[in-house]
Amino acid sequence: MENFKNDVVLELPNITEIAFTKVDKNYFKVICINFLLFFIPLLVVLIVLHHFVISEEFLGKTTFIYIAFFLFFEYIFLHLFLGFPKRKYAVREKDISYTSGLFIKKMTTVPFSRIQHVEIDEKPVSRLFDLAALSVYTAGDSSDDLEIKGIKKETAQQIKEFISTKINE
Amino acid sequence: MNNSFNFSEFSRQSPKGILVIYINLIYRVIKLTWIFLFIILKDFSKISNVGANYFYLGLVSVLIFLLVRAYLIYKNFQFKIDGEEFILKQGILKKTNTSVPFYRIQNINFKQNIIQQIINVFEVSIETAGSTKSEISIKALSYDKAKALKEIISNSSSLDTKTFTELDRKPLVKISVKELFKVSLTENHLQNLFLFLALVLGFFQQIQQIADSLGRTESLDGFISESTDAVSTSFFVVFILIIILTITALISSFVRIFLIHFNLVAYLNDDSFEINQGLFTKKSIVLKKQKVQNITVSTNPIKRIIGISFITFKQAVSGKLNKKKNKLIKIVGCKKDQVATIKSSLFDFEEVEFQNKQYPDSYYKKRVYIFSFLFLIALYIGVYFLHPHLEIFYSTIITVPLFVFLIRKKLKKRFYKITDSLLLVGRGLLETHATYLEVFKVQNIKLKQTFFQKKSNVADIILQTASGKITIPCLQYNEAIKIYNHALYKVEISKKSWM
Repeated sequence: MENFKNDVVLELPNITEIAFTKVDKNYFKVICINFLLFFIPLLVVLIVLHHFVISEEFLGKTTFIYIAFFLFFEYIFLHLFLGFPKRKYAVREKDISYTSGLFIKKMTTVPFSRIQHVEIDEKPVSRLFDLAALSVYTAGDSSDDLEIKGIKKETAQQIKEFISTKINE
Repeated sequence: MNNSFNFSEFSRQSPKGILVIYINLIYRVIKLTWIFLFIILKDFSKISNVGANYFYLGLVSVLIFLLVRAYLIYKNFQFKIDGEEFILKQGILKKTNTSVPFYRIQNINFKQNIIQQIINVFEVSIETAGSTKSEISIKALSYDKAKALKEIISNSSSLDTKTFTELDRKPLVKISVKELFKVSLTENHLQNLFLFLALVLGFFQQIQQIADSLGRTESLDGFISESTDAVSTSFFVVFILIIILTITALISSFVRIFLIHFNLVAYLNDDSFEINQGLFTKKSIVLKKQKVQNITVSTNPIKRIIGISFITFKQAVSGKLNKKKNKLIKIVGCKKDQVATIKSSLFDFEEVEFQNKQYPDSYYKKRVYIFSFLFLIALYIGVYFLHPHLEIFYSTIITVPLFVFLIRKKLKKRFYKITDSLLLVGRGLLETHATYLEVFKVQNIKLKQTFFQKKSNVADIILQTASGKITIPCLQYNEAIKIYNHALYKVEISKKSWM
């Protein structure tokens, strides 16, 4: 460690200047399917409640409840829709970054030298479109590590390989 | 070096260990069943002779069963050292074989509870980082054997601990009873009171659960509503209650501090700290400097007057949050020069001390004020719904200035300083905490910007370390990006191991 030199650098590599790649377009379809899988059962439950559990108090407010229900899910869907182009990732020589968020913009960078392990997940719906999620784990609190959802399985595999070779260097 | 012990063959702990395990088992059984025991003993006189005999018989058979179990646990607990690994065989019916490579071992700690003190054996616990497996503990070893084991492991591990000379070592910090008294007196009593009340509340809940199942809720409810009525009617009772709470707070501070930190002695070695403390359970901890992730120097106004502060060391945690508490290592009652010694032994802190404090953007001020007052308003609305009298709003004469005072304190203490290698973050409300983090120990880094923050061109920086996160709120966006880039650069060029 003694002969380690640390010269003053005037210009550090800047995170804002790197080109981020958007996640795969098909992933939006996955989001939509997942959304519907969540939304439709709830809607069915609501309709069943409306038609079979007849209560006087409930009947008076049906329209209001339906409007509230649809507005809520419309908001969630809009949030997903507008937030989708914000999901971007970038791999540099020594680190990997992910940014997302519509109202709350988040950017996370994990240096390769701190990665404990890398994982590729393929959820059932994503698999239909040949997509995967790449997660990297560090020694910190695992909930705050980095996960890139919705990239081509091939890309995920490549990034994983790349990180593995970099870690072992 | 005393290595007359042969660790290459499987060996058992000291036979005295049976006693330690036995008492531990009894303790655990009592802890699980104390409420039932309590109920039985309370009405013991009402139980007929025959019933009492059954009770004794049951008790004796449980004790014998536990003794046999303790013996079998002892018999089946074997360990050895094989090459660079520590191997442990245990289990009566379900056999487990654990092997821990030396490089994974974070700490080897000695511990003595009161029984172990009486029969003069040491409990050796081997802490590992990164694995979710609970640490290995050997309940009873003679001092010589424990020492020999520790020496073998720490000597052959890649991170050599130099064998320190036992005799002429001067302790870095030594806290006498008188000093510990001062420390206890200046504790954050409010916090200790809450801890104590939480404990008592948990205790009562347990009783209530049992009472519920026995159908005695009515009497208990009656008691509670009676006493609450009394509280709201009589000012005198409130007064008494406040005095009782104050005394409880003081006593709980004293008990807590004395139990944990009694006879605190800390040594500074070449590459580690050694901390010995405890009243009933003596603990000896060796803390490798390299494995310290960050340290926090804390003080409060009263402590500052008598010139003491306490230092919290944070080590890497293994993912699970509940283990965090064990990994916090505290040295209380440090004087200024001792704090400086500890800091300088870990890193070069001179430069950071001389820098000017950087404060968050004025956006932060706005945010804290808005959130606090929203909270206050919500609180008043809530109270008003429960207790609809306009008189309660008179109390704003006190609460609003108090809030403003606290917010101003909080804002004043929120600062950061950053040099090439070190980050210092200050925070606190009544207490003051200063956290020192070596930049290269960061695990990952996050930038967060809400919609409103974006309008004001500020952002939060969250530095994730192996022992929790450190947040710097509401920095100017450019400044935040600068820190982001700098931290990444430092991590990526660093060749040093972060633990």
